[in-house]
Amino acid sequence: MEIKSEILYNDRVAGGYFRLGLACRFPEAKPGQFVMLRVSDGLDPLLRRPFGIYRTLGTFGRALGAKGSPSKMKGIELLYRVVGKGTAILSGRRPGETLGVLGPLGNGFPDPAEGSSVVLVAGGMGIAPLYLLAKRLGAGTLLFGARSKAENVLLKDFRGLGLRIKTATEDGSAGIKGLVTGLLEDELTPESVVYACGPVGMLKAAAAISEKAGARCLVSLERSMACGIGVCLGCAVRTKEHRGEKESRFYKMVCSDGPVFQSEEVDWALL
Amino acid sequence: MGPVIRKGKAASGVTIAGLEFKNPVMTASGTFGYGAEFAPYVDLGRLGAIVVKGLSLYPRQGNPGPRIAETPCGMLNAIGLQNVGVDDFIEKKLPLIRGAGTHIIANVFGETVEDYMEVAGRLDRAKGVSAVEVNISCPNVKKGGMVFGTDPQEAFKVVSAVRKSTRLPVITKLSPNVTDIKVMVKAAEDGGTDAVSLINTITGMAIDVDRRRPVLATATGGLSGPAIRPIAVRMVWQAAQAATVPVIGMGGIMTARDALEFIIAGATAVQVGTASFIEPDAAVKVAEGIEEYLSRNAMSIQDLIGSLRVA
Repeated sequence: MEIKSEILYNDRVAGGYFRLGLACRFPEAKPGQFVMLRVSDGLDPLLRRPFGIYRTLGTFGRALGAKGSPSKMKGIELLYRVVGKGTAILSGRRPGETLGVLGPLGNGFPDPAEGSSVVLVAGGMGIAPLYLLAKRLGAGTLLFGARSKAENVLLKDFRGLGLRIKTATEDGSAGIKGLVTGLLEDELTPESVVYACGPVGMLKAAAAISEKAGARCLVSLERSMACGIGVCLGCAVRTKEHRGEKESRFYKMVCSDGPVFQSEEVDWALL
Repeated sequence: MGPVIRKGKAASGVTIAGLEFKNPVMTASGTFGYGAEFAPYVDLGRLGAIVVKGLSLYPRQGNPGPRIAETPCGMLNAIGLQNVGVDDFIEKKLPLIRGAGTHIIANVFGETVEDYMEVAGRLDRAKGVSAVEVNISCPNVKKGGMVFGTDPQEAFKVVSAVRKSTRLPVITKLSPNVTDIKVMVKAAEDGGTDAVSLINTITGMAIDVDRRRPVLATATGGLSGPAIRPIAVRMVWQAAQAATVPVIGMGGIMTARDALEFIIAGATAVQVGTASFIEPDAAVKVAEGIEEYLSRNAMSIQDLIGSLRVA
């Protein structure tokens, strides 16, 4: 659905991170789904941008708590970082103005098999689409990687959801020093399910570590896209499929086939 | 009682190659999937026609990514003509939109003249296809595509071959990547085309200066969107002056006023492309806006087509 949505709030969280509350009634938003947002009505930037849905909002724009039901949903919250022209314009939009929102789009995260232990792996902004999943699961481990301590403010909403949280920073200012994937190996058993979202390098490493441990790994991918509904064919990723001896490779679309993929179906060499 | 002014839908109806279109607005190939993808967002029956994604004899996987790049007021794409192939289209996609209440135009392409003929021939036998649009202008594939669109003799060959292989009306989609569009219009007409459509995308390029690499995996791609509209209007105007067959204009149309430029320049109909990516119902909005304009000015679309006064 395409909806003109009123901006409820658009607040700086820390550094270049913002949270944007939009009043829009979606039928339902599944963990891992995204919206296509038009940051302005002008012609430059021309295209909508994809944003993972961070949280769903109840009446009066309050974030729905752990007991909130989707039927009470009155809006969505997006978490974004200013990285380019589009997000810079977005950060200047004010409450009361409207934005065109197309969504919810994509397939979202599948539920883990019963009895599996869940590990969420997030790199920086990659934490955004994991909130609804963490809320739904209410258990498991969250591994969060950032450049430095300041970004750990993004973890605030995750505390109290029942997850164990471990952090890594590249500069060593909080948690272990290094990359978040350095925390992953110790967490895994063959019964683990990994949900990962973040930079391609992180996803690739998470996929390799999971494979080695015999654990299932689901990755949420990001690619440039124009439409978000499977028609521009811009957001293609090459995937591989094994049928017996035969391996076939073909493109899938991040928007309509994903954005969540099984790590072993992704042709990482081409990402 | 004054003269009766025909208002609303009827006033914007056009006829091309014997086909009656309820309004002059079509969706451009490659920007509207196979039609059904847009059914949740658009009343397909309010479109003049749906032009589907280009079809080849066999399915094509397309190019590696990145396939698109945003540029000022436009976008570059190098999809590489990914499509399900003509047989899957007829079997699986066509039934989904056959009853949508609008014309379905199949865009076709091939690597050889024989490919084009075979695809057009199979579509000729398919129920529900109103016309074929021959793509001789895709800039993103190594073989075929644009080589037919930049050489008038090759264009003549492929158009006349398609003409012989189908009873359906034939529209030839021209490339802007030529020096003199009139030569290409003439070649398509000599080949027996019933109409020409233009412009396809303009070859372009964007570079990531930090990585010192092209943004697109294929280095170059086709530029579309409002950035190309003035070029498109100029070429449609030139083509319309030379053409004896109807001209279908496109290139960066976002609004009804954009579309009106093409019609005033001489286009009998228009196609909306990149705009559908941004606003899925853009083509319907364009059609409504044209109707409002005609109604407000008490004109018929026929009064408006080619009504440009120069100097």
